[in-house]
Amino acid sequence: MSKEEIATDEAAEKNSCCHNKIAMVYGAWLLRLWLGVRAIQTGLEKFSGKVGSEELVKIGGDPNAYGLVADEKVKLYGPQFYHGVPEALMGKFEKEPLLLGFGLKVYDVILGPALIVLGLTILLGIASRTSLFLLGILYTSLTWGLILISQNDGVAWLGTHMILVVMALALAEHNRFTILKKW
Amino acid sequence: MNDITPNSLNRRSFLAKSAGAGLVLAPPNILRAANADGSDKIHVALIGFGKQGQVLFDCLKNISGLHYQAVCDISDWNRTKGINSVNAHQGFKPEGYVDIDEMLSAEKGLDAVVIATPDFWHSPHTVKCLEAGLNVYCEKMMSNTIDGARAMVHAAEKSGKLCQIGHQRRSNPRYRYTHDQLINGKKICGQITNVQGQWNRSLGSSQPIGGSKLPKSIIVSEDVLNRYGFKDMNQYLNWRLYRDLSGGPISDLGAHQIDIFNWFLGAVPKRVYASGGKAYFKDREHFDNVMCIFDYDTDQGEVRAFYEVLTTTSSGGGFWENFMGTEATIKTAEIASTSAIYRESGAPSWDELVDQNYIKKKPAPPKPAPSADAVASYESAAPEEYDLPGGFNKLAHQPHLENYFAAVRGKATLNCDARHAFESEAPIFWVNPSALSGQPIDLKSEHLSV
Repeated sequence: MSKEEIATDEAAEKNSCCHNKIAMVYGAWLLRLWLGVRAIQTGLEKFSGKVGSEELVKIGGDPNAYGLVADEKVKLYGPQFYHGVPEALMGKFEKEPLLLGFGLKVYDVILGPALIVLGLTILLGIASRTSLFLLGILYTSLTWGLILISQNDGVAWLGTHMILVVMALALAEHNRFTILKKW
Repeated sequence: MNDITPNSLNRRSFLAKSAGAGLVLAPPNILRAANADGSDKIHVALIGFGKQGQVLFDCLKNISGLHYQAVCDISDWNRTKGINSVNAHQGFKPEGYVDIDEMLSAEKGLDAVVIATPDFWHSPHTVKCLEAGLNVYCEKMMSNTIDGARAMVHAAEKSGKLCQIGHQRRSNPRYRYTHDQLINGKKICGQITNVQGQWNRSLGSSQPIGGSKLPKSIIVSEDVLNRYGFKDMNQYLNWRLYRDLSGGPISDLGAHQIDIFNWFLGAVPKRVYASGGKAYFKDREHFDNVMCIFDYDTDQGEVRAFYEVLTTTSSGGGFWENFMGTEATIKTAEIASTSAIYRESGAPSWDELVDQNYIKKKPAPPKPAPSADAVASYESAAPEEYDLPGGFNKLAHQPHLENYFAAVRGKATLNCDARHAFESEAPIFWVNPSALSGQPIDLKSEHLSV
């Protein structure tokens, strides 16, 4: 092989390596975006609630005197609507002997804020690897709860999240534009 | 059609004489009260904080101006739950009591009580509180005995205090609108000739509470149980299944809807025929299934009302009431999605009512394909379906509690005071005797009067 041919191969290899690196960076960004948005919005939804209309329905042209209001409900966000563990599941968890009542209450309080904080740190690139690790721990804890109440669909659903978390950790070295690269 | 508008109605316009029994559903006494210390706060004691007590407290939390001073319950678990719930809501703990007499003698400055104890305690608790000068909201059924219910009316009228009975549909905006505007105002049913109602509950929902291994935390000691009329924990948890403690399913469930029959018809029945049995729960003291027919004479004419309460099936879609007239049927239910209005094909046009938003027209369901197994000429045309123009966004019991506390403040009259509740509940006390004897009972003054 001539020197020229060797130089051409090296350049092609370098080019290919560079292209792969860009793909890895894009992959890391996409996972960062997906996991961050997923966690933030899930956390925010725990602060959402639906309230009924307050406006009295008009009957015969005037607001009615009975208090009948439009049936539609409006979605709102606020701390007053906060529910960490969904109400439908809370009752089932309370009956589980392996779940301590006090622990469940603490978990209920921290779940929403934890999802928002971890989602933000992952999205902004603050201690990404530790944040991803903690998010994985959080998803594991949710998985354990769902195993206890035999919600196998939910377990599988969280399993896909765990795969994405592990993929994001594997691509962590390619994660560019971060606020705090350490940890 | 009558031109009563939704804003110029007279809530008691429905009142009519029951020709059969010679009784009148009279307007309530205009009872008003002021709170004890003259402040804006109404000082409240919660008596009974079991499942229904919690339901009521969840509504009470949405009513401003209430100060919860005491919680009384014989169960440590319930009492602690009540105290903690109140503490979480108002920021400080109320006093806790096991015994109502102790509470009434120790607590000064109370204005009102909310009673959610087992049925057989309703009357003694209500009478004690009224005699102590307190306004009372007491869950329905008034009592497990008609004499207990009578004692409540006497005590309320003697004390001059308010006594609201928890027939919460009486304050439900959807029921009130249907009663005032659609049945009596616009008379959209035409002549109501029949009423039908049911509360059917599946086996799963009709099982006894508890089991052989109860958590220690909920167990009430035997001497406390015996002191308050219970043989043991099973009877305490399942008091609704015992004849001495409750009226059984016709009283627990049926009372809500038979009350609506009487309210909407503006009359009390003149006769009841009932049949009941223990088709599945052989060991229970009460019937597990009851069917009954009430005969009414109303201003419009004869009405027959059929009611069934079945604890072995949810067939028919839970609980609802059907008011069937010559021009329309109104199906009322506490769950809005179960309600509907059906216009008979020959009834006068409702276009004007729809234009003015008295009712809403529902989209017509797709027409079924012609079927060889039906004789078309024998079938009535399918009725058009309509709905109320709106709903309400509160918990089911909240409007009734709001009405009670508005009355305590002197800003409203009670929607279901003790006398009205008695007049409506009295026929229900005769369903089980009719079923037991297998005979119809002609309801006369001695059966229905206070």
